[in-house]
Amino acid sequence: MRLLNKASVRYLKQHRLQSVLSLLGVALGVAVVLSIDLAIQSARIGFQVSAETVAGLATHAIQSDRGSIDEDFFTRLKLDLNITEAAPVVEGLVTSTSLPGRTLKILGLDPFSEGPFRPYTSGNSPGLDLNRFITTQGGVILTEELASEGGLTTGDSIVIFSSGVRWALPIVGLFQSEDRLTRSGLSDVLVMDISGAQEVFGMVGALTRIDLRILDSERSYERTIGEITDNLPNGLRLENVGTRSETMAGMIRAFDVNLTALSLLAIVFGMFLIYNSMTFSVVSRRTSFGRLRALGVTRNEILRLILREAFWVGTVGTVIGLALGVFLAQGLIGLITQTINDLYFALSVREISIDTASLLKALTMGIGATVISSLPPALEAAGSTPRAASTRSIIESKTRRVIPMLAWSGLALCLLGWLVLLLPTRSLSVSFISLFAIITGMAAITPLGTVVLIEFVQPILSSFFGTLGSMAARGIRTTLSRTAPAIAALVIAVSVTVGLGIMINSFRGTLINWLDGTLQADIYVSLPGPQASRASGTLSDSLIKDFVSADGVAGYSTYRAVDVIRAEDTYRLVALGLDQRGEGAFDFQSGDSDAIIRDFQLGRGAIVSEPYAYQRQLDVGDSISLAGEKSARSLPILGVFYDYGSEQGTIIVSRDLYNTAYNDDGVTSLGLFLGDSSQSDRVVQDLLDKVPVGREVTVRSNATLRSASLEVFDRTFKVTGVLRLLTFIVAFVGVLSALTALQMERTHELGLLRASGLTPAQLWRLVVGQSGLMGLIAGVLAIPVGILLSVVMINVINKRSFGWSIQMQIDPAVIIQGIALAFFAALLAGIYPAFRMANTSPSVALRRIGE
Amino acid sequence: MIKSGPSVEIINVRKVYPSGDEQRAVLDGASATIRAGERVAILGPSGSGKSTLLNLLSGIDEPDSGTIEINGLDLRSLSENQRTLFRRNQIGFVFQSFNLLPALTVLENLLLPLELIGKTGNEANERARFLLEMVELSKRADSFPDRLSGGEQQRIAIARAVVHEPSLLLADEPTGNLDEDTSHRLMERLEDLLTSGKTTLVVVTHSRDLADRMDRALALDHGGLVEY
Repeated sequence: MRLLNKASVRYLKQHRLQSVLSLLGVALGVAVVLSIDLAIQSARIGFQVSAETVAGLATHAIQSDRGSIDEDFFTRLKLDLNITEAAPVVEGLVTSTSLPGRTLKILGLDPFSEGPFRPYTSGNSPGLDLNRFITTQGGVILTEELASEGGLTTGDSIVIFSSGVRWALPIVGLFQSEDRLTRSGLSDVLVMDISGAQEVFGMVGALTRIDLRILDSERSYERTIGEITDNLPNGLRLENVGTRSETMAGMIRAFDVNLTALSLLAIVFGMFLIYNSMTFSVVSRRTSFGRLRALGVTRNEILRLILREAFWVGTVGTVIGLALGVFLAQGLIGLITQTINDLYFALSVREISIDTASLLKALTMGIGATVISSLPPALEAAGSTPRAASTRSIIESKTRRVIPMLAWSGLALCLLGWLVLLLPTRSLSVSFISLFAIITGMAAITPLGTVVLIEFVQPILSSFFGTLGSMAARGIRTTLSRTAPAIAALVIAVSVTVGLGIMINSFRGTLINWLDGTLQADIYVSLPGPQASRASGTLSDSLIKDFVSADGVAGYSTYRAVDVIRAEDTYRLVALGLDQRGEGAFDFQSGDSDAIIRDFQLGRGAIVSEPYAYQRQLDVGDSISLAGEKSARSLPILGVFYDYGSEQGTIIVSRDLYNTAYNDDGVTSLGLFLGDSSQSDRVVQDLLDKVPVGREVTVRSNATLRSASLEVFDRTFKVTGVLRLLTFIVAFVGVLSALTALQMERTHELGLLRASGLTPAQLWRLVVGQSGLMGLIAGVLAIPVGILLSVVMINVINKRSFGWSIQMQIDPAVIIQGIALAFFAALLAGIYPAFRMANTSPSVALRRIGE
Repeated sequence: MIKSGPSVEIINVRKVYPSGDEQRAVLDGASATIRAGERVAILGPSGSGKSTLLNLLSGIDEPDSGTIEINGLDLRSLSENQRTLFRRNQIGFVFQSFNLLPALTVLENLLLPLELIGKTGNEANERARFLLEMVELSKRADSFPDRLSGGEQQRIAIARAVVHEPSLLLADEPTGNLDEDTSHRLMERLEDLLTSGKTTLVVVTHSRDLADRMDRALALDHGGLVEY
């Protein structure tokens, strides 16, 4: 059907603005989804490549929860158990003034044990002078790219900070590997001799892990594994290589699902937009389709014609979206890795990996969503008789008849979504499907809401603005086939913005309350580390001694944190030496706080955070295990406290209890209580003056730490904010497209009004006023929908994702912003058609043959 | 394509439209027989159901009761798709409001019915251009319909209706927008185009002159068809 295709192309060209907006809608929807997908995939791939490069050809690793293994065990392993293919490793994270903003990983290796493990450390690796590497004290090797980023080369020194201590490490070689993956995997790694690394991390005589090569093709495989396992000291375990990195990668699952779901909203809005555009394009061509049907074009041919058109719009829009998505991903990768750094683990990914699967997924989604959303109007056009297809009133009366049914279906969909949410499952996918069902249900109820609101405002507008006011309101009701989808799109877009706004505000409010209760000390002391949100490293004994005995300090709490990453579980273990003044820091879900704290101080059990208990379905009285080098024991849970610091969950035991299990008397951070709290700024300065030259210690007052925590919170929600904005832009383009189309289609009617004596200014007011009214209606309808969405997001999605309880707080500003957003977006969308209409001569408007 | 124009049987046809809360029978027990190749005018006042009758004859619309047979084929026995294909292949329709496709040029409007029956290329092009010449609008071949006057659009509508040599030509006020001279000239051309005996012609008109040019005339009266 060459001529029919030609007519389609001409239609799209004639309605250029409409076509461009359609393409833009698809492109933006696809770009948002793809960019999130690429950014998250890149973060995952970056992490994976780095983990694999660092692990090399090791098959197993001996790990400890604390990341510290006595060096003697390695010797035993080699000599007593005759394990030849074993390599000791010391690794840790440092920051560098040579490369500001980068988190670097120091990989301390023993060149004599490395043979079978990491080819890039072998003697014949290009750029590596093994003799120099071994003989230079603290010498490091890094990739050429990393060195050039810091303007460094062989012979220079790279300045790093580890646990607050400054080190200048001489660069003894640059990796010149041909292998792109190896270079990428080592992009943030400094390789040094193991003894140097032990010094840097204050781990003399200890290892982070022991890498092993035990091939399962060997006949002695089972025996070797058994022997090692039998001889493992307390607190150590043998794991397959990759288990740890996989477990760590799994930590971002909820984060990934939430971002992906949010990005999918952009596609949903894109679909609304396409539905609107295609509905408009079909409705405005109903006469043409009627003529074609009368000439003998079959229903299937009309259906194919419209779907073909949608396919091409979808394809072109998607291709533009793919390019835009890759570009957008470059911007998002920084935000996403920053959030992963803040919330989960140190990660440094600077480039996006363009994954073919992600591209194909986005391509299919873009084209598929366009074609699917075009299906209802296409079926509508193809299904009507030649006579009905050309009669506008038939379409409108059909729409009016459908509205109550649509509202009932919407209500049923909402109820169904709600019922699914009540199912005893913690599946995030199920939760998001339910949320999408509720959103779609709400969209279906919108037309009825619109009719009800119009009934209400029409007399008011009539009394204030006369016939024009009445016309503006009635015009919305009489063209519901086009106004309803546009209003529904705006309602959903604004309600999602309102819902997210309420959720973020509630979360922030809850966090502020929590920080107020939790931060009981006047001054907090820790070491600067790669992750702003969590302290790491070990404070030196002398520093602790100096600080706790400083003038004005009346008491102190000590805090030791260990990130336990096991195949079967991941959590943070904290040993707390709690000062009496800090006993009010915990807000427990249930039970008598004083009694819980008393038992905790006496070492009768552990207290766990809400996410820990929720994700493992544990409660007070259940047991957890504490397995260290010294002993392994089971402890009862004394209480479950509210905590927003870690979604993986935290177990807190008293310092004394911890010391019975672990060979570790280190302190990660200190909380100092002053005799006079008002003196905290002075004491902070006094403490900083005590810090020896060449060392860095972070000393913060309660207020500073509080604002720093909120800063991290705001940063982690930056990516949500960007997505919220992008999603709204897609929805706005949809509304712009729908309203523009709607008003442009009224050319003839508006021409008649002009011919009847309406001035351009009056016409302008009519068109803009009607658009504004639609926006206002959308805004009003969006508020209850937004509140409902926030209830679901806070109580179900958030709880299932992170296990946090958030107290809902509805800020009136969010509501007002929502209504204003809808009103002004719609008003803006009305300006161009109003301008066009007001400047079109009535004779031209009347002469036009409506397509 | 049938070799000779089909016979048309209208048997006791009733068609009702809603009018406010009531139902109004536009056609009520209309019956008539049109012989193969015959040229018949349908007369009647506005709103008497003339256009409805043409819609029913073309299969665009369906009667509420009664039968319409074209060459013995009951249109109601055909599926929607079959009726569409029947219309595409057998019927030419001059619509009162022309129904030209605004996204296609004048020439393309004429090529469309040919393309629908699978005729493309030079042969189709020559046929369309020939008809444009017949209706004296060769120079407007590349214009879009909204650039034509009402009379020009009507001539294009007539040319399009006959371009694929339909066996049954239905014309709804084909000269309604034309002055007397043009109307007269156009009808002569139309008659030239319709090779004698091969096309059955049903014309709805208000014009006595036009009716007089036909073999006979029927009138719609109170929903029924009577000889005029």
